[in-house]
Amino acid sequence: MMFHYLLRRMFLLSFVFVALTVFAFSLGYLFPGDVLGNFTGLRNISPAEEIVLRQQLGLDESYWQQYIYFNQRIIDGNWALSFSSQQNVLDEIINVMPATLELASYALLISLVVGIPLGIVAAVRKDKWLDKLISGFALVGYSIPIFWWALLLIMVFSLTLGWLPTSGRLSVLYEIPTFSGFMLPDILLSNVPYSEEALFDAIRHLLLPSLVLATYPTTVMIRFTRESMLDVLEQNYIKTARAKGLTRLQVLYTHGLRNALLPVTRQVGLQFSTLITLAMITEVIFSWPGIGRWLIDSIYQRNFPAIQGGVLVVSSLVIAVNMFTEILHTLLNPLARKF
Amino acid sequence: MKKLRLYYEEHNKGPFKLLWKHFSQQHFAFFGFIMLLLLLSLAVLTPFLTPHDPYLQNSQLLLVPPSWQNSGLVSYPLGTDDLGRDLMSRLMAGASYTFGLAVLAVLGSLLVGVILGALSGMSKGVKSSVFNHLLDLALTIPSLLLAIVIVAVLGPGLMNTIWAIMLALLPQFVHGVRNAIQQQLKQDYVTAYRLDGASQRQLLLFVIFPNIWEQLVLMFTMALSTAVLDIAALGFLSIGAQSPTAEWGSMIADSLDSIYLAPWTVALPGLMIFITVLAVNLVGDGIRVAMKKRREN
Repeated sequence: MMFHYLLRRMFLLSFVFVALTVFAFSLGYLFPGDVLGNFTGLRNISPAEEIVLRQQLGLDESYWQQYIYFNQRIIDGNWALSFSSQQNVLDEIINVMPATLELASYALLISLVVGIPLGIVAAVRKDKWLDKLISGFALVGYSIPIFWWALLLIMVFSLTLGWLPTSGRLSVLYEIPTFSGFMLPDILLSNVPYSEEALFDAIRHLLLPSLVLATYPTTVMIRFTRESMLDVLEQNYIKTARAKGLTRLQVLYTHGLRNALLPVTRQVGLQFSTLITLAMITEVIFSWPGIGRWLIDSIYQRNFPAIQGGVLVVSSLVIAVNMFTEILHTLLNPLARKF
Repeated sequence: MKKLRLYYEEHNKGPFKLLWKHFSQQHFAFFGFIMLLLLLSLAVLTPFLTPHDPYLQNSQLLLVPPSWQNSGLVSYPLGTDDLGRDLMSRLMAGASYTFGLAVLAVLGSLLVGVILGALSGMSKGVKSSVFNHLLDLALTIPSLLLAIVIVAVLGPGLMNTIWAIMLALLPQFVHGVRNAIQQQLKQDYVTAYRLDGASQRQLLLFVIFPNIWEQLVLMFTMALSTAVLDIAALGFLSIGAQSPTAEWGSMIADSLDSIYLAPWTVALPGLMIFITVLAVNLVGDGIRVAMKKRREN
């Protein structure tokens, strides 16, 4: 039965990827400018080259054939060149992606570690002052525009107090060889003599962006956990458990948490898409060399091959993460299993 | 969960009156509602209300601080920006861009969403299942990414980002309307109407819609806060509203250079966005709580 479910999910996933590649392929035609340029990323193509390239891409054949060639290039890793740097777009994405993932994963971690306990506390102390405080804080964080919040924090902590740097991942003083592209593990793995100072510096750089990025998901997590917990606490089995003589804490732990946190696992997947969106804005403000800033820069430079590739990779990532958490949720929650 | 509902009073309040009663008892939500009404009237009436022309540059009055500071001027209550434009007038004009256009975008998207949602909600079988799965996945694509693609195709500009936002909001409306309709279709009174010989169209117009409009309002408020934030964010990234336009997000982006000299030119437009989104969220939360209370009583 489970196998059948997984098979159906995989079928759906492959269907979506087909739809996504069709979309990315059609962007080559939709973007302004020359189709040949959009698909190859080459500029100033000579007439002789043009004939060869048109042949390679199959531009004179049917759209269907062109789409198949496009997919072959995607699978071979033979992606278009970026207009601005004339490098393979895939290589560029692989270079910038870890920075975004690192930032997003710390923000997600903060949102889970802070958001879930606060949401539980707010639900348990419903309508008491603590709940009002937490809910009020969550509503403010939920409503604040992230770029403004980032600027306020920069004004206070960087410009006025001068405690934290405003941009980048690491001070230029330190040079860390790249293994994974993730800064903190890279520093720990490297054998440079100044690794301790570099680590401290990297954390100082990381603090403001991850705090800014974590604000919205944390508040969503607080609100969601609180709602979910309140729903569970109203159920009859909670009353039964109390009537059996369990203490409040026991009821909360054995009956409340398990049931209330199940929907939260699904929420994590849904949060990922929001996180990537917000990470783009955060990266622009803090000059964080991630995929968001890279994509926004590509817009400014009208770098169409880069936008095409970026959209393909980011959407695939978001959809894959969503699908994964959905499957995880189904595995954990027997009620969600509709085989 | 009470199964039976007893009516002791001779005159019982209608569902809308009950909702309003529970809503207006929540002070914060009511306050948010009034703020929204104020913002809405500001968005409509702004050409008649602005004390100065929001686009008039005055080289004599660059970066005048707000009037509560010593060097401020009374005729420029919130000061001027780096081109000598009156900040208060620009903030008021911004209400019709950031908030007014967001309302229009959400309304348009909601309308299309209701039509598509009704079509898919009333249909059954494989077609509707495929449609539903597609929507689920369309929901996961980040809206900013979609906006970036649309801007790349159509070029930057405020109207293009409005299209992008409408398109990005559409899946959640279709999904929400569809689920609401399917929930209604399970109710006994819908079956009763069906047995009375009501057609699909009559069922939709006279039975289902009167019962889901509150959920539509709730969806509207949730989408409105997203739309305001997205318009402002795209304006801030210079992908949406372009420079002279008095859109709150692009005003912040324009004033970034003078953040040291004139922090109020960055702080005030952001404050307006924050207040707007907060008001929308207060109202949305208020409606949700009111609906819950009405169900419980």
